[in-house]
Amino acid sequence: MTWTRHLAAAFAAGAVLGASAARADDLKIGALLPMSGPNAEYGQTFGAGADLSVQHVNADHVLTQKLVLTYEDSQALPMQGVLGMNKLVNVYQTPFVLTGFTGVSKAIAPLARRNQTVAVNGGGVGPDLAQLGPYFWNVIPLANSEVRAIVPYLVNERKLKRFVLIYVDDPLGQSINQELAQDLPPAGGQLAASFAVPAGSQQFGGVVARVRDANPDLIFIASYGAQQSQIVKQLRDNGVSQQIASYSAFSIPAINALPEAKGALYTTQRFDWNAKDMLTQRFVTDYTQKYGRKPTAYAANYYNAVRLFAILAAQLERDGKPVTGANLLAERQRLQHFDLVGGSVSFDAQGTVRAPIQVNQIDGAGGTVVSTR
Amino acid sequence: MLLLQLLINGIQLGALYALTAGGFSLIFGATRIFHFAHGAAFMIAGYAFYEIYDKLHLPWYLALIVSALVTVAFGVLLDRLVYTPIKRHENSFFTLFAGAFGVGIIVQNMIGFFFGRGFVAISTPLSKGVPLLPGLYVSPLAGIAVVVALLAFFGLHAFLSRSHTGMALRALADSPELVRAYGMSPQKLSQTAFALGSLLVVPAAILSGASAGLNPSVGSHVMLISLAATIVGGVGSLRGAAFAGLLLGLAESLALAWFSSQWSEAVVFVVLFLFILFRPSGFFGRALVH
Repeated sequence: MTWTRHLAAAFAAGAVLGASAARADDLKIGALLPMSGPNAEYGQTFGAGADLSVQHVNADHVLTQKLVLTYEDSQALPMQGVLGMNKLVNVYQTPFVLTGFTGVSKAIAPLARRNQTVAVNGGGVGPDLAQLGPYFWNVIPLANSEVRAIVPYLVNERKLKRFVLIYVDDPLGQSINQELAQDLPPAGGQLAASFAVPAGSQQFGGVVARVRDANPDLIFIASYGAQQSQIVKQLRDNGVSQQIASYSAFSIPAINALPEAKGALYTTQRFDWNAKDMLTQRFVTDYTQKYGRKPTAYAANYYNAVRLFAILAAQLERDGKPVTGANLLAERQRLQHFDLVGGSVSFDAQGTVRAPIQVNQIDGAGGTVVSTR
Repeated sequence: MLLLQLLINGIQLGALYALTAGGFSLIFGATRIFHFAHGAAFMIAGYAFYEIYDKLHLPWYLALIVSALVTVAFGVLLDRLVYTPIKRHENSFFTLFAGAFGVGIIVQNMIGFFFGRGFVAISTPLSKGVPLLPGLYVSPLAGIAVVVALLAFFGLHAFLSRSHTGMALRALADSPELVRAYGMSPQKLSQTAFALGSLLVVPAAILSGASAGLNPSVGSHVMLISLAATIVGGVGSLRGAAFAGLLLGLAESLALAWFSSQWSEAVVFVVLFLFILFRPSGFFGRALVH
């Protein structure tokens, strides 16, 4: 019995050491995404795009080392995000970390700056994410760009003037509230009422009654995760039949499959899934094959974030420089343009991608693009 | 009209809160176990019904029966396999709480793994509101929630006050030794409390799943409301939990008539705070199942 235990312990130790030795040769990057809690669906969608990108980078031998994505669960909460970021930076020493959600991104940005680790956001859209310093990049246009794109479309083309906003009471929701209040009057619209809801709230019968009382042409929803589905369902169940609109948070499978959300409009950065370039075709084909559904803008963003890292790291390897956050930043500023899914993109001086916006309509079959801005 | 709409919404919400809080209060009142996994029982009930009714397209009554059986089995097995061994070894309140908390997290992750981490809703035309008056929409689910809650509480009250098992359950929290002296098994009574408490959460989970939808993290919200209603109602009082659930639902909804919408949930905890300050024993004072 004792010998059996000793043998088992020796085998386990050998396996661990062997695995560690193998991992020492890998090039690790971090993924600080919500893997549990009410926003875990986003983590799954973000991770699906990132995983496929890692798979492609390794299959193409873009880098001399094997690229490995190390996950930490942010739960979409700032405190958990900081804990996860500390682990990624100090324990795994990753030079590049994928992140998402406005609150988490703002919480980890000082750590990224202090440790010269690049943090790349492909999901959070709070406008102030553009101001988080040189080590914080956004591969997604921010909410102000999305609101500025959809407001003229809704007011001028759809003739919807009277808006009511239901927004989550956090920095993201507040920024969309401010942006709508600012953009609607010049466009000829009006923000008739705004209703803030707590982040964890699940019952909206009362809010719906207030919305119906305000008699809007359109209800704009600025929330995310399970909550936005609950708001849509409860609006429709309680007799509110007006047009619903939102921002890129609607770009998840749960909303697209929700019967009550059919007809809703939302913005994302422009992706033409039928584009003829090899990169987009490969992404769409392999994503659909691997996950059994059409890709979303979020999946493409995180695919692009990993691909961006691979392009920069490969160039650093060719130049004989170490793959550090500082070198990645210098290389991004030097190269300027990058071929990613959706076409060639560039970054503005603050590290946010410049990209056109499209307005999508939920049709229960993966969505239709109704306008490009 | 807005006030009437908020009142009706509040009654519907309160009926669901009363059912969830009643289950928690019954278990806590009889066993003194802080059953944090009550939220997990809620999720199991909701997802089981959703899977059988929405995915397998089987009749609703079959889905209801299976959902009830699975949820009751969860409660009873949890008591037998987790709480009883802990009670046997040290019977510490905090160890029991940690065990329940751990089970809650495991169930949440398992539901996320098997059913996905996104939002799902039990689809039924009963959730669609119909206009009763201009600007007043009421769904058939509101009426069903109230009727089910009334039936559940009257039935349970009759069981607890008139049957031997019910009376023994009421005695269990105070003196398990006395219960044993009368030839009854505290362990079996504890399992009965878990079975009844878990059963009570089944209609609440199904009706919530149809009106507001489900997601794997809904359990923590259920627990918060259950805990608040248990304290406001008077720890261990089933009648108190029912009244408190209704009060909290009404407060959450009616708050919207006078306060900004982000305060509606906070109002629940203002009510709780006021009770802790001015009436710490809750509505119905004593820590026993009445």
